[in-house]
Amino acid sequence: MRVLEVTDLQVELLTGTSVVRAVDGVSFHIDQGETVTIIGESGSGKSTTAMAILRLLPDDLAVISGEARIGGQDVTGSRKVIDKLRGRAVALIPQDPMTALNPIRTIGRQMTEAVRIKYPDLGRAEAKARALSLMEQVHIRNPAKQFDAYPHQLSGGMLQRVLIAMAVSTDADLIVADEPTSALDVTVQAGILDLLLELQEQTGIALLLITHDLGVARLMSDRVHVMKAGAFVEGGPVTDVVDHPQHPYTQKLLGAIPELGPWVDPGASEPLVKEASHG
Amino acid sequence: MLTYVLKRVGQTVLTAFLAVATVFVLLRMAPGDPAANYAPPNPSSEQLEAIRQQFGLDQPIPVQFWTFLQHLFQGDVGTSFFFKRPALDVVLERLPYTITLAVAAIVVTSVVAIPLGVWMARRNNTAPELGANIGTIAGQSMPDFWIGFVLLILFAVNLHWFAPSGFDSATSIILPTLTIAILQIALISRLVRREMVVNLASPYLTVARSRGVSERALTWRYAFANAALPVVTALGTRFAAMLNGVVIVEVVFNWPGVGELVVNALKQRDFPLIQATVLVTVLLALAVQLLVDLLYPLMDPRVRLGEASS
Repeated sequence: MRVLEVTDLQVELLTGTSVVRAVDGVSFHIDQGETVTIIGESGSGKSTTAMAILRLLPDDLAVISGEARIGGQDVTGSRKVIDKLRGRAVALIPQDPMTALNPIRTIGRQMTEAVRIKYPDLGRAEAKARALSLMEQVHIRNPAKQFDAYPHQLSGGMLQRVLIAMAVSTDADLIVADEPTSALDVTVQAGILDLLLELQEQTGIALLLITHDLGVARLMSDRVHVMKAGAFVEGGPVTDVVDHPQHPYTQKLLGAIPELGPWVDPGASEPLVKEASHG
Repeated sequence: MLTYVLKRVGQTVLTAFLAVATVFVLLRMAPGDPAANYAPPNPSSEQLEAIRQQFGLDQPIPVQFWTFLQHLFQGDVGTSFFFKRPALDVVLERLPYTITLAVAAIVVTSVVAIPLGVWMARRNNTAPELGANIGTIAGQSMPDFWIGFVLLILFAVNLHWFAPSGFDSATSIILPTLTIAILQIALISRLVRREMVVNLASPYLTVARSRGVSERALTWRYAFANAALPVVTALGTRFAAMLNGVVIVEVVFNWPGVGELVVNALKQRDFPLIQATVLVTVLLALAVQLLVDLLYPLMDPRVRLGEASS
Protein backbone atom coordinates (compact mmCIF):
# COMPACT_ATOMS: atom_id res chain seq x y z
CA MET A 1 0.00 0.00 0.00
CA ARG A 2 1.30 3.42 -0.94
CA VAL A 3 1.37 5.53 2.23
CA LEU A 4 3.00 8.62 0.77
CA GLU A 5 3.29 9.66 -2.84
CA VAL A 6 5.07 12.92 -3.60
CA THR A 7 5.08 14.20 -7.16
CA ASP A 8 7.06 17.20 -8.38
CA LEU A 9 6.85 18.99 -5.02
CA GLN A 10 8.06 22.58 -5.05
CA VAL A 11 8.39 24.91 -2.09
CA GLU A 12 9.16 28.56 -2.55
CA LEU A 13 10.11 30.50 0.55
CA LEU A 14 9.35 34.20 0.59
CA THR A 15 12.15 36.04 2.34
CA GLY A 16 11.06 39.65 2.43
CA THR A 17 12.34 40.87 -0.91
CA SER A 18 13.32 37.68 -2.71
CA VAL A 19 11.91 34.21 -3.37
CA VAL A 20 14.01 31.14 -2.67
CA ARG A 21 13.08 27.82 -4.24
CA ALA A 22 13.96 25.59 -1.28
CA VAL A 23 12.45 22.43 -2.76
CA ASP A 24 12.63 22.15 -6.52
CA GLY A 25 10.54 19.39 -8.05
CA VAL A 26 10.98 16.46 -5.70
CA SER A 27 9.24 13.13 -6.33
CA PHE A 28 9.30 9.97 -4.20
CA HIS A 29 7.01 7.49 -2.49
CA ILE A 30 6.87 5.38 0.65
CA ASP A 31 5.05 2.06 1.00
CA GLN A 32 3.71 0.49 4.16
CA GLY A 33 6.42 -0.70 6.54
CA GLU A 34 9.11 1.05 4.57
CA THR A 35 11.67 3.58 5.72
CA VAL A 36 12.70 6.16 3.18
CA THR A 37 15.43 8.61 4.10
CA ILE A 38 16.18 12.00 2.66
CA ILE A 39 19.80 12.79 3.35
CA GLY A 40 21.60 16.03 2.72
CA GLU A 41 23.56 18.82 4.33
CA SER A 42 22.06 21.80 6.18
CA GLY A 43 20.04 24.02 3.87
CA SER A 44 19.59 21.32 1.23
CA GLY A 45 15.80 21.47 1.64
CA LYS A 46 15.30 18.09 3.30
CA SER A 47 13.50 19.41 6.40
CA THR A 48 11.53 21.88 4.28
CA THR A 49 10.30 18.92 2.21
CA ALA A 50 9.08 17.15 5.34
CA MET A 51 7.49 20.30 6.80
CA ALA A 52 5.79 21.03 3.49
CA ILE A 53 4.26 17.55 3.40
CA LEU A 54 2.92 18.10 6.93
CA ARG A 55 1.87 21.66 5.98
CA LEU A 56 3.73 23.05 8.98
CA LEU A 57 5.21 25.96 7.03
CA PRO A 58 3.37 29.28 7.49
CA ASP A 59 1.22 30.21 4.48
CA ASP A 60 2.62 33.70 4.31
CA LEU A 61 6.19 32.39 4.10
CA ALA A 62 5.98 29.30 1.92
CA VAL A 63 4.23 28.60 -1.37
CA ILE A 64 3.75 24.91 -2.10
CA SER A 65 2.99 23.40 -5.49
CA GLY A 66 3.00 19.91 -6.93
CA GLU A 67 1.33 16.99 -5.19
CA ALA A 68 1.79 15.13 -1.94
CA ARG A 69 -0.68 12.33 -1.24
CA ILE A 70 -0.91 10.86 2.25
CA GLY A 71 -3.07 7.73 2.08
CA GLY A 72 -4.27 8.91 -1.33
CA GLN A 73 -5.34 12.39 -0.21
CA ASP A 74 -3.53 15.38 -1.66
CA VAL A 75 -2.46 17.68 1.18
CA THR A 76 -1.01 20.51 -0.90
CA GLY A 77 -4.38 22.17 -1.53
CA SER A 78 -6.82 23.11 1.23
CA ARG A 79 -5.50 22.95 4.78
CA LYS A 80 -8.68 21.09 5.76
CA VAL A 81 -7.23 17.88 4.30
CA ILE A 82 -4.09 17.92 6.44
CA ASP A 83 -6.08 19.05 9.51
CA LYS A 84 -7.96 15.74 9.34
CA LEU A 85 -4.80 13.69 8.82
CA ARG A 86 -2.46 15.17 11.44
CA GLY A 87 -2.40 13.16 14.63
CA ARG A 88 -4.51 10.49 12.94
CA ALA A 89 -2.87 9.24 9.73
CA VAL A 90 0.44 11.05 10.00
CA ALA A 91 2.61 12.03 12.94
CA LEU A 92 5.86 13.91 13.50
CA ILE A 93 8.91 13.13 15.59
CA PRO A 94 10.65 16.49 15.94
CA GLN A 95 14.28 17.46 15.82
CA ASP A 96 14.81 18.90 19.29
CA PRO A 97 12.81 17.14 22.01
CA MET A 98 13.82 19.74 24.61
CA THR A 99 11.68 22.45 23.01
CA ALA A 100 8.98 20.24 21.53
CA LEU A 101 6.59 20.03 24.48
CA ASN A 102 4.48 22.65 26.19
CA PRO A 103 6.67 23.62 29.18
CA ILE A 104 3.79 24.31 31.56
CA ARG A 105 1.74 21.12 31.09
CA THR A 106 2.61 17.69 32.45
CA ILE A 107 3.83 14.93 30.15
CA GLY A 108 0.71 12.96 31.01
CA ARG A 109 -1.67 15.74 30.13
CA GLN A 110 -0.04 16.22 26.73
CA MET A 111 0.02 12.47 26.09
CA THR A 112 -3.64 11.95 26.92
CA GLU A 113 -4.46 14.93 24.73
CA ALA A 114 -2.63 13.26 21.85
CA VAL A 115 -4.40 9.94 22.50
CA ARG A 116 -7.81 11.59 22.56
CA ILE A 117 -7.29 13.44 19.28
CA LYS A 118 -7.28 10.09 17.50
CA TYR A 119 -9.74 8.44 19.89
CA PRO A 120 -12.07 11.18 21.16
CA ASP A 121 -14.46 8.67 22.70
CA LEU A 122 -11.91 7.46 25.24
CA GLY A 123 -12.62 8.56 28.79
CA ARG A 124 -10.01 10.23 30.95
CA ALA A 125 -9.01 7.04 32.73
CA GLU A 126 -8.85 4.98 29.54
CA ALA A 127 -6.73 7.62 27.82
CA LYS A 128 -4.39 7.65 30.82
CA ALA A 129 -4.12 3.85 30.77
CA ARG A 130 -3.29 3.95 27.09
CA ALA A 131 -0.71 6.71 27.60
CA LEU A 132 0.95 4.69 30.38
CA SER A 133 1.09 1.55 28.25
CA LEU A 134 2.59 3.58 25.40
CA MET A 135 5.23 4.96 27.75
CA GLU A 136 6.06 1.40 28.72
CA GLN A 137 6.22 0.45 25.04
CA VAL A 138 8.90 3.12 24.41
CA HIS A 139 10.82 1.85 27.47
CA ILE A 140 10.30 4.79 29.79
CA ARG A 141 11.16 3.62 33.26
CA ASN A 142 8.57 4.24 35.96
CA PRO A 143 5.87 5.62 33.63
CA ALA A 144 3.47 6.47 36.45
CA LYS A 145 6.01 8.88 37.91
CA GLN A 146 7.00 10.44 34.58
CA PHE A 147 3.33 10.85 33.70
CA ASP A 148 3.04 13.62 36.30
CA ALA A 149 6.40 15.21 35.48
CA TYR A 150 6.90 18.42 33.54
CA PRO A 151 9.07 18.47 30.41
CA HIS A 152 11.95 20.33 32.12
CA GLN A 153 12.29 17.46 34.59
CA LEU A 154 13.12 14.88 31.90
CA SER A 155 16.29 14.36 29.89
CA GLY A 156 16.42 14.89 26.13
CA GLY A 157 16.44 11.16 25.44
CA MET A 158 13.43 10.58 27.72
CA LEU A 159 11.56 13.47 26.07
CA GLN A 160 12.25 12.02 22.64
CA ARG A 161 10.82 8.70 23.87
CA VAL A 162 7.74 10.58 25.07
CA LEU A 163 7.41 12.27 21.66
CA ILE A 164 7.83 8.93 19.90
CA ALA A 165 5.13 7.48 22.17
CA MET A 166 2.87 10.38 21.19
CA ALA A 167 3.53 9.74 17.50
CA VAL A 168 2.80 6.04 17.97
CA SER A 169 -0.33 6.79 20.02
CA THR A 170 -2.05 7.97 16.86
CA ASP A 171 -1.75 4.58 15.16
CA ALA A 172 -0.70 6.61 12.13
CA ASP A 173 0.27 5.03 8.82
CA LEU A 174 3.19 7.40 8.37
CA ILE A 175 5.65 8.91 10.81
CA VAL A 176 7.85 11.78 9.70
CA ALA A 177 11.05 11.80 11.76
CA ASP A 178 12.88 15.07 11.23
CA GLU A 179 16.47 14.56 12.43
CA PRO A 180 15.14 12.61 15.42
CA THR A 181 18.54 12.11 17.03
CA SER A 182 20.62 15.13 16.03
CA ALA A 183 19.92 17.05 19.23
CA LEU A 184 20.75 14.08 21.46
CA ASP A 185 23.95 12.75 22.98
CA VAL A 186 25.65 10.06 20.91
CA THR A 187 25.03 7.45 23.61
CA VAL A 188 21.31 8.24 23.59
CA GLN A 189 21.02 8.32 19.78
CA ALA A 190 21.54 4.58 19.38
CA GLY A 191 18.78 3.81 21.88
CA ILE A 192 16.31 6.05 20.07
CA LEU A 193 17.14 4.53 16.67
CA ASP A 194 16.77 1.02 18.13
CA LEU A 195 13.40 2.01 19.49
CA LEU A 196 12.23 3.33 16.11
CA LEU A 197 13.29 0.08 14.41
CA GLU A 198 11.57 -1.97 17.11
CA LEU A 199 8.34 -0.01 16.83
CA GLN A 200 8.37 -0.25 13.07
CA GLU A 201 8.76 -4.01 13.32
CA GLN A 202 5.79 -4.19 15.72
CA THR A 203 3.44 -1.85 13.89
CA GLY A 204 4.53 -1.91 10.23
CA ILE A 205 4.40 1.86 10.16
CA ALA A 206 5.99 3.73 7.24
CA LEU A 207 8.78 6.13 8.13
CA LEU A 208 10.03 9.22 6.35
CA LEU A 209 13.40 9.92 7.90
CA ILE A 210 15.24 13.20 7.49
CA THR A 211 18.91 13.12 8.44
CA HIS A 212 22.34 14.46 7.60
CA ASP A 213 23.98 11.42 9.16
CA LEU A 214 24.95 8.68 6.72
CA GLY A 215 25.39 6.21 9.57
CA VAL A 216 21.78 6.77 10.64
CA ALA A 217 20.60 6.49 7.05
CA ARG A 218 22.45 3.21 6.51
CA LEU A 219 21.12 1.71 9.73
CA MET A 220 17.49 2.72 9.30
CA SER A 221 16.55 2.98 5.64
CA ASP A 222 15.21 0.78 2.92
CA ARG A 223 15.73 3.47 0.34
CA VAL A 224 17.51 6.82 0.43
CA HIS A 225 17.35 10.01 -1.60
CA VAL A 226 20.33 12.32 -1.58
CA MET A 227 19.24 15.94 -1.65
CA LYS A 228 21.27 18.94 -2.69
CA ALA A 229 20.11 22.51 -3.27
CA GLY A 230 16.44 21.55 -3.25
CA ALA A 231 16.60 18.58 -5.62
CA PHE A 232 17.32 14.87 -5.39
CA VAL A 233 20.67 14.08 -7.01
CA GLU A 234 20.61 10.36 -6.43
CA GLY A 235 18.26 7.75 -5.00
CA GLY A 236 17.73 4.05 -4.59
CA PRO A 237 18.13 1.13 -2.19
CA VAL A 238 20.38 2.16 0.69
CA THR A 239 23.09 -0.41 -0.03
CA ASP A 240 23.40 0.73 -3.67
CA VAL A 241 23.69 4.41 -2.80
CA VAL A 242 26.11 3.96 0.06
CA ASP A 243 28.31 1.28 -1.49
CA HIS A 244 28.27 2.46 -5.11
CA PRO A 245 27.57 6.20 -5.11
CA GLN A 246 27.12 7.51 -8.66
CA HIS A 247 26.78 11.24 -8.14
CA PRO A 248 29.90 13.24 -7.17
CA TYR A 249 27.97 14.92 -4.34
CA THR A 250 27.11 11.57 -2.77
CA GLN A 251 30.73 10.52 -3.10
CA LYS A 252 31.75 13.72 -1.35
CA LEU A 253 29.20 13.10 1.43
CA LEU A 254 30.55 9.61 1.97
CA GLY A 255 34.11 10.91 1.92
CA ALA A 256 33.23 13.36 4.68
CA ILE A 257 32.66 10.61 7.26
CA PRO A 258 35.57 10.64 9.71
CA GLU A 259 37.52 7.38 9.70
CA LEU A 260 37.60 5.46 12.93
CA GLY A 261 40.79 3.54 13.60
CA PRO A 262 43.82 3.27 15.83
CA TRP A 263 44.66 6.68 17.10
CA VAL A 264 47.18 7.93 19.59
CA ASP A 265 46.01 10.72 21.85
CA PRO A 266 48.88 13.17 22.11
CA GLY A 267 47.64 14.34 25.52
CA ALA A 268 47.79 10.85 27.01
CA SER A 269 51.37 10.02 26.00
CA GLU A 270 52.72 10.37 29.55
CA PRO A 271 52.93 7.03 31.39
CA LEU A 272 50.01 6.68 33.80
CA VAL A 273 52.12 4.88 36.41
CA LYS A 274 53.64 8.21 37.43
CA GLU A 275 50.56 9.31 39.31
CA ALA A 276 50.47 6.20 41.47
CA SER A 277 54.02 6.65 42.68
CA HIS A 278 53.13 10.06 44.16
CA GLY A 279 50.28 8.64 46.28
CA MET B 1 7.31 28.72 50.60
CA LEU B 2 6.72 30.12 54.11
CA THR B 3 10.11 31.87 54.19
CA TYR B 4 9.31 33.29 50.74
CA VAL B 5 6.02 34.73 51.99
CA LEU B 6 7.60 36.09 55.19
CA LYS B 7 10.40 37.67 53.19
CA ARG B 8 7.92 39.31 50.84
CA VAL B 9 5.79 40.60 53.74
CA GLY B 10 8.93 42.03 55.36
CA GLN B 11 9.87 43.78 52.12
CA THR B 12 6.35 45.16 51.87
CA VAL B 13 6.48 46.67 55.38
CA LEU B 14 9.92 48.17 54.76
CA THR B 15 8.88 49.68 51.42
CA ALA B 16 5.75 51.19 52.96
CA PHE B 17 7.84 52.68 55.80
CA LEU B 18 10.35 54.22 53.39
CA ALA B 19 7.58 55.67 51.23
CA VAL B 20 5.84 57.25 54.20
CA ALA B 21 9.12 58.58 55.66
CA THR B 22 10.11 60.14 52.33
CA VAL B 23 6.75 61.82 51.92
CA PHE B 24 6.84 63.00 55.54
CA VAL B 25 10.17 64.75 55.12
CA LEU B 26 9.52 66.09 51.61
CA LEU B 27 6.22 67.66 52.66
CA ARG B 28 7.92 69.61 55.43
CA MET B 29 10.76 70.71 53.16
CA ALA B 30 8.38 71.95 50.47
CA PRO B 31 7.66 75.69 50.31
CA GLY B 32 4.41 77.02 51.75
CA ASP B 33 3.15 77.22 55.31
CA PRO B 34 0.17 75.04 56.26
CA ALA B 35 -0.69 77.41 59.07
CA ALA B 36 -1.47 80.14 56.51
CA ASN B 37 -4.22 77.95 55.04
CA TYR B 38 -5.98 77.46 58.35
CA ALA B 39 -5.61 80.92 59.87
CA PRO B 40 -8.20 83.70 59.57
CA PRO B 41 -7.55 86.25 56.79
CA ASN B 42 -4.56 88.54 57.42
CA PRO B 43 -3.33 86.56 60.43
CA SER B 44 -0.90 87.98 62.94
CA SER B 45 2.34 86.11 63.54
CA GLU B 46 1.02 85.06 66.96
CA GLN B 47 -2.04 83.48 65.36
CA LEU B 48 0.14 81.59 62.86
CA GLU B 49 2.45 80.44 65.63
CA ALA B 50 -0.52 79.20 67.64
CA ILE B 51 -1.75 77.14 64.68
CA ARG B 52 1.72 75.71 64.08
CA GLN B 53 1.85 74.73 67.72
CA GLN B 54 -1.59 73.15 67.49
CA PHE B 55 -0.50 71.06 64.48
CA GLY B 56 2.85 70.26 66.06
CA LEU B 57 4.70 71.93 63.22
CA ASP B 58 6.79 74.07 65.55
CA GLN B 59 8.92 71.06 66.49
CA PRO B 60 12.08 70.05 64.56
CA ILE B 61 11.34 67.54 61.77
CA PRO B 62 13.00 64.53 63.53
CA VAL B 63 10.90 65.16 66.61
CA GLN B 64 7.76 65.47 64.47
CA PHE B 65 8.64 62.20 62.76
CA TRP B 66 9.23 60.43 66.06
CA THR B 67 5.87 61.61 67.34
CA PHE B 68 4.27 60.50 64.08
CA LEU B 69 5.81 57.03 64.40
CA GLN B 70 4.70 56.68 68.01
CA HIS B 71 1.14 57.48 67.00
CA LEU B 72 1.40 55.25 63.92
CA PHE B 73 2.19 52.20 66.01
CA GLN B 74 -0.96 52.90 67.99
CA GLY B 75 -2.91 52.90 64.74
CA ASP B 76 -3.28 56.69 64.69
CA VAL B 77 -2.15 58.32 61.45
CA GLY B 78 -3.03 61.81 62.60
CA THR B 79 -5.93 64.23 62.37
CA SER B 80 -6.68 65.98 59.10
CA PHE B 81 -6.01 69.71 59.34
CA PHE B 82 -8.90 70.44 57.00
CA PHE B 83 -11.55 67.90 58.02
CA LYS B 84 -10.66 67.99 61.74
CA ARG B 85 -11.22 64.23 61.78
CA PRO B 86 -8.87 61.22 61.83
CA ALA B 87 -7.14 61.33 58.45
CA LEU B 88 -7.37 57.56 58.03
CA ASP B 89 -11.18 57.69 58.25
CA VAL B 90 -11.30 60.32 55.51
CA VAL B 91 -9.08 58.21 53.24
CA LEU B 92 -11.00 55.02 53.89
CA GLU B 93 -14.26 56.79 53.02
CA ARG B 94 -12.85 57.71 49.61
CA LEU B 95 -11.03 54.45 48.99
CA PRO B 96 -14.04 52.43 47.75
CA TYR B 97 -14.50 54.91 44.90
CA THR B 98 -10.91 54.55 43.75
CA ILE B 99 -10.99 50.77 44.13
CA THR B 100 -14.23 50.58 42.15
CA LEU B 101 -12.74 52.70 39.37
CA ALA B 102 -9.48 50.72 39.35
CA VAL B 103 -11.29 47.36 39.28
CA ALA B 104 -13.61 48.53 36.49
CA ALA B 105 -10.65 49.83 34.48
CA ILE B 106 -8.55 46.71 34.91
CA VAL B 107 -11.50 44.44 34.03
CA VAL B 108 -12.28 46.42 30.88
CA THR B 109 -8.57 46.44 30.01
CA SER B 110 -8.21 42.67 30.41
CA VAL B 111 -11.42 41.85 28.59
CA VAL B 112 -10.50 44.01 25.59
CA ALA B 113 -6.68 43.92 25.52
CA ILE B 114 -6.16 40.16 25.79
CA PRO B 115 -8.42 39.12 22.88
CA LEU B 116 -7.18 42.11 20.87
CA GLY B 117 -3.53 41.19 21.45
CA VAL B 118 -4.17 37.54 20.63
CA TRP B 119 -6.03 38.51 17.48
CA MET B 120 -3.20 40.81 16.41
CA ALA B 121 -0.66 38.03 16.96
CA ARG B 122 -2.71 35.55 14.91
CA ARG B 123 -3.17 38.09 12.12
CA ASN B 124 0.41 39.29 12.29
CA ASN B 125 1.49 41.18 9.16
CA THR B 126 -1.97 41.56 7.64
CA ALA B 127 -3.73 44.80 6.74
CA PRO B 128 -6.33 44.69 9.59
CA GLU B 129 -3.56 43.95 12.07
CA LEU B 130 -1.59 46.93 10.81
CA GLY B 131 -4.68 49.09 11.38
CA ALA B 132 -5.08 47.77 14.94
CA ASN B 133 -1.37 48.25 15.51
CA ILE B 134 -1.55 51.92 14.49
CA GLY B 135 -4.64 52.28 16.69
CA THR B 136 -2.81 50.95 19.74
CA ILE B 137 0.17 53.22 19.09
CA ALA B 138 -2.25 56.17 18.93
CA GLY B 139 -3.94 55.02 22.16
CA GLN B 140 -0.58 54.78 23.82
CA SER B 141 0.41 58.27 22.70
CA MET B 142 -2.64 60.24 23.85
CA PRO B 143 -2.40 61.79 27.33
CA ASP B 144 -5.13 60.55 29.66
CA PHE B 145 -6.38 64.01 30.65
CA TRP B 146 -6.85 64.80 26.96
CA ILE B 147 -8.76 61.56 26.35
CA GLY B 148 -10.83 62.44 29.40
CA PHE B 149 -11.73 65.87 28.08
CA VAL B 150 -12.55 64.52 24.60
CA LEU B 151 -14.87 61.88 26.08
CA LEU B 152 -16.45 64.51 28.33
CA ILE B 153 -17.10 66.91 25.47
CA LEU B 154 -18.38 64.16 23.19
CA PHE B 155 -20.55 62.03 25.47
CA ALA B 156 -21.44 64.33 28.35
CA VAL B 157 -21.59 67.84 26.87
CA ASN B 158 -22.71 67.17 23.29
CA LEU B 159 -24.60 63.89 23.46
CA HIS B 160 -25.79 64.15 27.10
CA TRP B 161 -25.41 60.40 27.51
CA PHE B 162 -23.65 60.62 30.85
CA ALA B 163 -23.32 63.06 33.70
CA PRO B 164 -20.21 65.18 33.15
CA SER B 165 -18.73 64.76 36.60
CA GLY B 166 -18.99 63.36 40.10
CA PHE B 167 -20.69 60.19 41.15
CA ASP B 168 -24.47 60.38 40.73
CA SER B 169 -25.44 57.05 39.29
CA ALA B 170 -23.96 53.76 38.15
CA THR B 171 -23.33 55.15 34.66
CA SER B 172 -21.04 57.85 36.10
CA ILE B 173 -18.24 55.31 36.16
CA ILE B 174 -18.28 54.68 32.40
CA LEU B 175 -16.36 57.72 31.16
CA PRO B 176 -13.58 57.68 33.79
CA THR B 177 -13.18 53.92 33.27
CA LEU B 178 -12.88 54.38 29.51
CA THR B 179 -10.37 57.18 29.95
CA ILE B 180 -8.08 54.98 32.00
CA ALA B 181 -8.71 51.84 29.97
CA ILE B 182 -7.88 53.28 26.53
CA LEU B 183 -4.23 53.82 27.43
CA GLN B 184 -3.99 50.51 29.32
CA ILE B 185 -5.64 48.57 26.48
CA ALA B 186 -3.09 50.03 24.07
CA LEU B 187 -0.17 49.05 26.31
CA ILE B 188 -1.39 45.61 27.38
CA SER B 189 -2.62 44.51 23.94
CA ARG B 190 0.79 45.28 22.47
CA LEU B 191 2.43 43.24 25.22
CA VAL B 192 0.03 40.33 24.61
CA ARG B 193 0.69 40.55 20.88
CA ARG B 194 4.46 40.48 21.36
CA GLU B 195 4.36 37.51 23.75
CA MET B 196 1.89 35.63 21.56
CA VAL B 197 3.93 36.11 18.39
CA VAL B 198 6.93 34.53 20.12
CA ASN B 199 4.94 31.61 21.52
CA LEU B 200 2.95 30.99 18.33
CA ALA B 201 6.23 30.57 16.45
CA SER B 202 7.86 28.33 19.05
CA PRO B 203 8.74 24.70 18.27
CA TYR B 204 6.40 23.18 20.88
CA LEU B 205 3.48 24.81 19.12
CA THR B 206 4.46 23.46 15.70
CA VAL B 207 4.90 19.99 17.15
CA ALA B 208 1.50 20.19 18.85
CA ARG B 209 -0.01 21.31 15.55
CA SER B 210 1.53 18.23 13.91
CA ARG B 211 -0.33 16.14 16.49
CA GLY B 212 -3.61 17.56 15.26
CA VAL B 213 -4.28 19.90 18.20
CA SER B 214 -6.93 22.41 17.09
CA GLU B 215 -5.91 25.98 16.32
CA ARG B 216 -8.13 27.23 19.13
CA ALA B 217 -6.40 24.98 21.66
CA LEU B 218 -3.00 25.95 20.26
CA THR B 219 -3.81 29.62 20.67
CA TRP B 220 -5.19 29.51 24.19
CA ARG B 221 -4.07 26.33 25.95
CA TYR B 222 -0.58 26.41 24.49
CA ALA B 223 0.53 29.88 23.39
CA PHE B 224 -1.58 32.04 25.70
CA ALA B 225 -1.01 29.90 28.78
CA ASN B 226 2.71 30.47 28.23
CA ALA B 227 2.36 34.15 27.34
CA ALA B 228 0.17 34.83 30.39
CA LEU B 229 2.93 35.25 32.95
CA PRO B 230 4.32 38.60 31.77
CA VAL B 231 0.78 39.74 30.96
CA VAL B 232 -0.46 39.04 34.48
CA THR B 233 2.61 40.81 35.87
CA ALA B 234 1.87 43.87 33.77
CA LEU B 235 -1.83 43.86 34.69
CA GLY B 236 -0.90 43.61 38.37
CA THR B 237 1.54 46.50 38.13
CA ARG B 238 -1.04 48.63 36.27
CA PHE B 239 -3.70 47.80 38.82
CA ALA B 240 -1.38 48.70 41.68
CA ALA B 241 -0.60 52.00 39.99
CA MET B 242 -4.31 52.72 39.58
CA LEU B 243 -4.90 52.12 43.29
CA ASN B 244 -2.38 54.85 44.00
CA GLY B 245 -5.08 57.12 42.72
CA VAL B 246 -5.74 57.70 39.08
CA VAL B 247 -5.15 61.28 40.04
CA ILE B 248 -5.61 63.14 36.79
CA VAL B 249 -8.65 61.18 35.69
CA GLU B 250 -10.29 61.60 39.09
CA VAL B 251 -9.68 65.34 38.93
CA VAL B 252 -10.98 65.65 35.35
CA PHE B 253 -14.18 63.79 36.21
CA ASN B 254 -14.43 65.11 39.76
CA TRP B 255 -14.50 61.49 40.88
CA PRO B 256 -14.59 61.32 44.69
CA GLY B 257 -11.64 58.94 45.05
CA VAL B 258 -8.33 59.20 46.87
CA GLY B 259 -6.64 60.75 43.82
CA GLU B 260 -8.94 63.72 43.94
CA LEU B 261 -8.63 63.79 47.74
CA VAL B 262 -4.85 63.91 47.68
CA VAL B 263 -4.81 66.76 45.15
CA ASN B 264 -7.01 68.86 47.42
CA ALA B 265 -5.00 67.82 50.47
CA LEU B 266 -1.84 69.00 48.71
CA LYS B 267 -3.43 72.35 47.89
CA GLN B 268 -4.42 72.78 51.52
CA ARG B 269 -1.08 71.51 52.86
CA ASP B 270 -3.06 68.95 54.87
CA PHE B 271 0.00 66.93 55.93
CA PRO B 272 -1.70 64.18 57.97
CA LEU B 273 -4.21 63.54 55.21
CA ILE B 274 -1.47 63.28 52.56
CA GLN B 275 0.50 60.91 54.79
CA ALA B 276 -2.55 58.76 55.44
CA THR B 277 -3.32 58.59 51.70
CA VAL B 278 0.24 57.62 50.86
CA LEU B 279 0.32 54.98 53.59
CA VAL B 280 -2.97 53.37 52.53
CA THR B 281 -2.36 53.41 48.79
CA VAL B 282 1.23 52.21 49.08
CA LEU B 283 0.13 49.30 51.26
CA LEU B 284 -2.64 48.44 48.80
CA ALA B 285 -0.32 48.59 45.80
CA LEU B 286 2.25 46.45 47.56
CA ALA B 287 -0.44 43.96 48.52
CA VAL B 288 -1.44 43.65 44.86
CA GLN B 289 2.19 43.13 43.83
CA LEU B 290 2.56 40.49 46.53
CA LEU B 291 -0.55 38.72 45.26
CA VAL B 292 0.81 38.71 41.70
CA ASP B 293 4.13 37.29 42.88
CA LEU B 294 2.31 34.55 44.75
CA LEU B 295 0.37 33.74 41.56
CA TYR B 296 3.56 32.93 39.62
CA PRO B 297 4.09 29.47 41.10
CA LEU B 298 0.50 28.58 40.26
CA MET B 299 0.96 29.58 36.63
CA ASP B 300 4.40 28.15 35.92
CA PRO B 301 5.52 24.75 37.23
CA ARG B 302 9.14 25.78 36.69
CA VAL B 303 8.74 28.47 39.35
CA ARG B 304 6.68 26.20 41.59
CA LEU B 305 9.20 23.40 41.52
CA GLY B 306 12.05 25.84 42.05
CA GLU B 307 14.18 24.36 39.31
CA ALA B 308 14.17 27.36 37.01
CA SER B 309 15.92 29.58 39.53
CA SER B 310 18.68 27.14 40.42
